[in-house]
Amino acid sequence: MSYLPCGQYFESYLDDQKWWRTPFIKAKMIFMLVVVLALPYLVASEWLSVFYTINYYILAALGVQLLIGYCGQITLGHAAFVAVGGYTSAMMILFIPWPTFMVDSGLVYPISIICAGFTAAMWSVLFGLPSARVKGFYLIMTTMAAQWITVPLVITQYVSQIGGRGQSFSLPPGLIKIGPWTIDDDVKIYYFSAFLVLLCLLAMGNILRSKIGRAWIAIRDNDIAAETMGVNIVVYKLIAFFVAGFFAGIAGAFWISALFFVSPEHYEWFYSLLWVGIILIGGVGSIQGIVFGSAFVVIIFKLLEMGVLGISEFVMTSYPEIGWVTTKIIFFKESAFGLAIIFFLIYEPNGLSYRYWQLKNYFNLWPFSYTGK
Amino acid sequence: MSDVILEARNIFLSFHGVAALTNVSFKVHKGEIFSIIGPNGAGKTCMMNCINGLYHPKDGQLFLKGVDITKMSPHKRASMGLSRTFQKIELFGGMTVLDNIRLGRHLHLNSGLLSSCIYWGKTSKEEISARKFIEEEIIDLLEIESVRNEVTGMLPYGMQKRIELARALAVQPELILLDEPLAGLNLEETEDMARFIVDINEDKRWKVTCVLVEHDMGVVMDLSDRVMTLNFGVKIAEGTPKEVQENPEVIKAYLGEVEDLYVSRR
Repeated sequence: MSYLPCGQYFESYLDDQKWWRTPFIKAKMIFMLVVVLALPYLVASEWLSVFYTINYYILAALGVQLLIGYCGQITLGHAAFVAVGGYTSAMMILFIPWPTFMVDSGLVYPISIICAGFTAAMWSVLFGLPSARVKGFYLIMTTMAAQWITVPLVITQYVSQIGGRGQSFSLPPGLIKIGPWTIDDDVKIYYFSAFLVLLCLLAMGNILRSKIGRAWIAIRDNDIAAETMGVNIVVYKLIAFFVAGFFAGIAGAFWISALFFVSPEHYEWFYSLLWVGIILIGGVGSIQGIVFGSAFVVIIFKLLEMGVLGISEFVMTSYPEIGWVTTKIIFFKESAFGLAIIFFLIYEPNGLSYRYWQLKNYFNLWPFSYTGK
Repeated sequence: MSDVILEARNIFLSFHGVAALTNVSFKVHKGEIFSIIGPNGAGKTCMMNCINGLYHPKDGQLFLKGVDITKMSPHKRASMGLSRTFQKIELFGGMTVLDNIRLGRHLHLNSGLLSSCIYWGKTSKEEISARKFIEEEIIDLLEIESVRNEVTGMLPYGMQKRIELARALAVQPELILLDEPLAGLNLEETEDMARFIVDINEDKRWKVTCVLVEHDMGVVMDLSDRVMTLNFGVKIAEGTPKEVQENPEVIKAYLGEVEDLYVSRR
């Protein structure tokens, strides 16, 4: 709960429970929307892929945040559900003999996104079932089982073999079509991803301020008390797995439009860890945290990549006799992620969103730096 | 005062050979304050947990409003109008006070997943009516206006006890289990809490039947309609406060051989 500036009074419960409670917040959010919409015209075109990668990580980490940050169910196998979403969508597009009018009017891909959401959600509920009995460390093991069973076994060995194309399904350009728009360049991918992110963040925020979201937070904080207040713990944990899986399915279905193919190597265990890392960096139990964490990780990766490439080029041209050094520094990118998590856990365990909250309160309370309590 | 709201028949509870409750039977009538007292380790909190469903008795039956609830899970019992507070505070530390109390309204809200996602319309109306109820009936009654937007984990102990009562009341229970509501409170907070208990028991708006476990004898004897005494899991006395005070077995078990110590800790 952040503090409001002086002189803000509300006369109805409706006003008090609004998301955007002051004109300043409204202006800020509208400004943010304008920036999101105008972004393709503001940045160089090679940076657009960075921004839709951020959006993909936001979509994928949304479910992780829901499970770990809001429901307290630690998951380390989220890439499996994203993979289920991606494969469902791709296979629906490729293998179902759609009537031509549906293909022409661009209904196939939107329908496949929704189906991907539901398939991933059911898959997630299946692996969420043990959460009825086990907690904490043991649940980590069962969600890791989701990863190892889904990606290396079911998808690589069985699902990928369908159609005899080997490991990956490629989607010919022009096949991914939403209504009249064919998703074929970075600008369209960016707008599509931004639309999905806004929609999912809105849905998530709304769930969290209604009955179901509160029940999740109650289970995270104190499951015994939650049960005595009438929360059916097992059902609500499974709803959490369902919704988290649904978001993961949407993320997977979106990502095939950016890659134009699906392959098991995009759903390795590293990604499950990456998304947990994103919410640790951004702030556990905060929706803004997902956005901050994703942006931080992707942009840092991009900058490191550019830096490493620049250094390599410089070394290769100026001092070709020590060119072997470049092969040693290209792995700095991956280690930087680990270092960032360690750094955040030690110095800012509440993540970037907490810093943002402090900043907001500082300005809201200025010039008095205390609240009087 | 005649109809029975809660009945326990021959409750037997044991942990690995240690008998926590042996053959305990009692009836709680509608509208009364029924206290369970006894020395430490007598099985009072075990009894509360059995009524609430956190423990399952090895033998015996529990009836709430005439329905056998012995095998029911805690959340089903809550939906029958049973609510409780805890001896050790069990609030949701990361939520604000308002959200804690809103969670107590859980059973009275019925928006599904889809309408929650959309929020606008049905869920929004429901949330506003829940807020109205919480503000006007509970926050006003328990005098916690000033802390409604604070995070619960940060609040002082006495205030947390009060918020626990607020959360339990948000369920709109017919029967409320108060497990040591006065433990660790100072004099002023104790008086406030005793006043709230009387309020919710007697106010026409609430009329909640209370089962009270408490060590503060002054308060117990003043508030209760009837008192039951447990000692090592065995029921040794039941009756009006006066009868229990004069019961020689209670005096012996509860206070040792020293007489006339039914004074409060104050």
